[in-house]
Amino acid sequence: MTEAALVQKLREAEGLVLIGKRLQRLDALDKVLGVPLYTSDIVPKDALRVKVVRSTVPHAVIKRINTQPAKQMPGVMAVLTAQDIPGINEAYALLPDRPLLASTKVRCQGEAIAVVAANDMQTAEEAADNVTVEYERLPAVTSPVEAMKPDSVRVHDSGNVAKYLKVRKGDVGEGFRQADVIVENTYKTQFQDPTALEPEVGMAWLEKDGSITCVGSMQTPYYVQTGVAKILGVSPDKVRVIQATTGGAFGPKSDEMPVDTCGISALVAQKTGKPAILAYSRQESMIAHTKRHPFVITLKTGAKSDGRLTASEALVVSDTGAYASLGPLVIIRACFHATGPYVVPHVKTDAYCMYTNNTMAGSFRGFGSPQVHFAAECQMDELAKKLDLDPLDLRMKNILRPGTLTATSQLVDEACGLEECAVRAAEAANWRGKRVEFARDSGTFRRGIGMALMYHGNSLGPEGNDYAYVHVLIKPDARVVVRTALTEYGTGAISGLAQVAAETLGLPIDLFELDRPDTASCQETGPTVASRVIVIGGRAAQIAAEKLKEKILTVGGALLRCEPSKLTIKDGLVRHTGDERQAIAFQEVVEECYKRHVSLTETGYYIAPKCDFEPENSQGTTYQQYTYGAVVAEIQVDTELGVVKPLKITVAYDVGRAINPLSLEGQIDGGTIQALGYGLMEQLIHTDGIVVNPTLGDYYIPTSLDIPELQTIIVEYPGPVGPYGAKAMGEPPVDLPAAALANAVAHATGSRVFDLPLTAEKVLLGMKRKP
Amino acid sequence: MNGKDHALVVESTERLLDVLRDRLNLKGVKEGCGTGDCGACTVIMDGRLVNSCLLLAVQARDKKIITIEGVGTRERVHPVQKAIMKYNAAQCGFCIPAMVLAGKNLLDHNPAPSTEDIKEAISGVLCRCTGYYKLIEAIQEAASEVRGLKR
Repeated sequence: MTEAALVQKLREAEGLVLIGKRLQRLDALDKVLGVPLYTSDIVPKDALRVKVVRSTVPHAVIKRINTQPAKQMPGVMAVLTAQDIPGINEAYALLPDRPLLASTKVRCQGEAIAVVAANDMQTAEEAADNVTVEYERLPAVTSPVEAMKPDSVRVHDSGNVAKYLKVRKGDVGEGFRQADVIVENTYKTQFQDPTALEPEVGMAWLEKDGSITCVGSMQTPYYVQTGVAKILGVSPDKVRVIQATTGGAFGPKSDEMPVDTCGISALVAQKTGKPAILAYSRQESMIAHTKRHPFVITLKTGAKSDGRLTASEALVVSDTGAYASLGPLVIIRACFHATGPYVVPHVKTDAYCMYTNNTMAGSFRGFGSPQVHFAAECQMDELAKKLDLDPLDLRMKNILRPGTLTATSQLVDEACGLEECAVRAAEAANWRGKRVEFARDSGTFRRGIGMALMYHGNSLGPEGNDYAYVHVLIKPDARVVVRTALTEYGTGAISGLAQVAAETLGLPIDLFELDRPDTASCQETGPTVASRVIVIGGRAAQIAAEKLKEKILTVGGALLRCEPSKLTIKDGLVRHTGDERQAIAFQEVVEECYKRHVSLTETGYYIAPKCDFEPENSQGTTYQQYTYGAVVAEIQVDTELGVVKPLKITVAYDVGRAINPLSLEGQIDGGTIQALGYGLMEQLIHTDGIVVNPTLGDYYIPTSLDIPELQTIIVEYPGPVGPYGAKAMGEPPVDLPAAALANAVAHATGSRVFDLPLTAEKVLLGMKRKP
Repeated sequence: MNGKDHALVVESTERLLDVLRDRLNLKGVKEGCGTGDCGACTVIMDGRLVNSCLLLAVQARDKKIITIEGVGTRERVHPVQKAIMKYNAAQCGFCIPAMVLAGKNLLDHNPAPSTEDIKEAISGVLCRCTGYYKLIEAIQEAASEVRGLKR
């Protein structure tokens, strides 16, 4: 029996019909047909085109903004600056540090200063070029480590530290005294651009009653509603926000940019009375939107001679750019995961989120986790080398297992499949054989194999209240609609909600349809971030479906004259569990509900238990459940050119429960390759605060020709929070590949590259440095 | 254009992309970068894949152009479309019209492509969601269906 068949049998034994099935997404047909779905496809004919005038310098006082020449151009309908904002000139995610339109000072390249609206794009662009901004340049700080120094340039009056936190467990001094070996290294990571294929776009128009409707590419409609209302100076109920089909997001479309695109469009619509659309160019997107935080991480690790870890001391510094965005939350996740998934008795971690005059960093799939796992996993290999141990053996002596404590002294529960992930990934990749075989390579092309392990605290954890509302309704024709302000932006997770509801209701998936997220019809439900949709939203969908099922069975019981508790929904029938002849068509029961005015619209609400930890030293339960994983990477290095070619990646993830293995594999495939780009080629380069490669011709992301063989292993240790034990799997696939690739390169060349990406230049320099 | 003639007077500076989207209302053609790097604006012109953001509309005079709107219908999807649906290979969907065209154009010329042929054929279209694996599998499956149909 194949593994997939075995899993299916186990599911059936548990009575699950749809959970674990490889189902097609509900939104697939429109997408393959190229139906107009995205914001720019559905823009009204008379919409004004909006262009933003952005700062060209990293730090300066604005002396004068001259909009007169632009205003006089034919076809220009409005030129707006900060003084035209009727409400509050703020557009920030967390800390009140960022204006929508800068008026007195700019703190990074790409800050919005003025807005031009015209009848066509060409006019808008020409008019934007005719807005002149006079600056008085200020010195800039562009390194987060420099920004920590007392005499550094100040980005904000409040100082350069956007967030500081620490972990203290045991006595790290004692831990290092117990150590036989100590390894200390500094690792660096780069700005990664999320590169959703659809750049940021938002549009807005005035309704007859004076309210505003916004449609855009976004993750979290209610954030946009609050943000736009504040800018316009109206109450949020005067702003309706609809998420259009969104062409990829990866995090930043939950941050400031959808507020900017919709807010600026709404401002123009309010001033001119005409619909307006703001669509970023790719270059504008790469400069203005949030990206992955660069980190500088210094790790000092102590171990006994047999490999058992005794202590970890970490200094974790992130560069959030000129505005905090979600940086203060990213640093929390980074801080809590900085040791990697290991038992370390004595831990001291200090984590700083620093302001600089670089462009803004924020949410990006992984949220601080890829950076710290890169450092922690390279460090494990460096330690293994010093101890003369196989990297797998060193890890197996130290990994988190049920009953052990994490760095925050959280007790690891039974839902921990890390050991199985590590063992199975290593076996599937023939770790031991290839470790020896590849080390024998000589000559120009040399192969290497490296591994990395991870844990990933699920959902929001310490980042906020972790709740969701999902509405499920059955229409008179017995079709079922799932409606929520949680959004679909590519993952298929919203189809997953339908799958959970279908399983609960005992109905086939083809009865289900998905509604558009719309503040007019969906309750506020928290952000669509942190791989929350299945884990938290899935529970809410389950609850809504259970409520509906109860109503259906009650009415079914009345029709069949039997106890509702004896009934179930199966094969399109409401029927008696003991006597299958007692049955009535599901549709008939639905019709009867409508006749009796039994509402078939239900809302499911779920909130995860609060994370309970002592905030001073960050000790306690920081997340309610964890995803675990192992990645093994095999590469080939051209030792003359330094070029790294990935050959094969083997991954094993403890996903808790695979709701839809097909969509799950899609997340693993895409995340692995996004992280391959992070490891090998992607780097948004800032020189003195200016982005030098903001085009897809100069910033490479992987193409179909760059991908290696990929083998995926699914491990299931059901977690306590998600529906049917499901764990978060949107983000975790990006945590490890870069680290595993770095370890493979070190295996192939004998020298380590300490900073990402692993470019040919760095690989060659590393080999030259080697004694 | 998708099997029909269109007589249009265009400005010498108009991009083919804008004429397709704004004047012929073919919204399946996407703009992802405007610099010919992402391939989301790909259309088939005289049997070859081209970036419609890099072509002037006048360069399309007397050419046969196929966009996604000319490939399948709700009732009868193309084998490439069908397989992309089956494998959940359309995630955010923004690159999918171009991917379908790249897959279709490959199978039009080579109904028995190797994995390497497929990778090559779609290499001009960037996808950030799928890592390409399921797209490649889907095109492979579509190829066997196309071969079956031809037989």
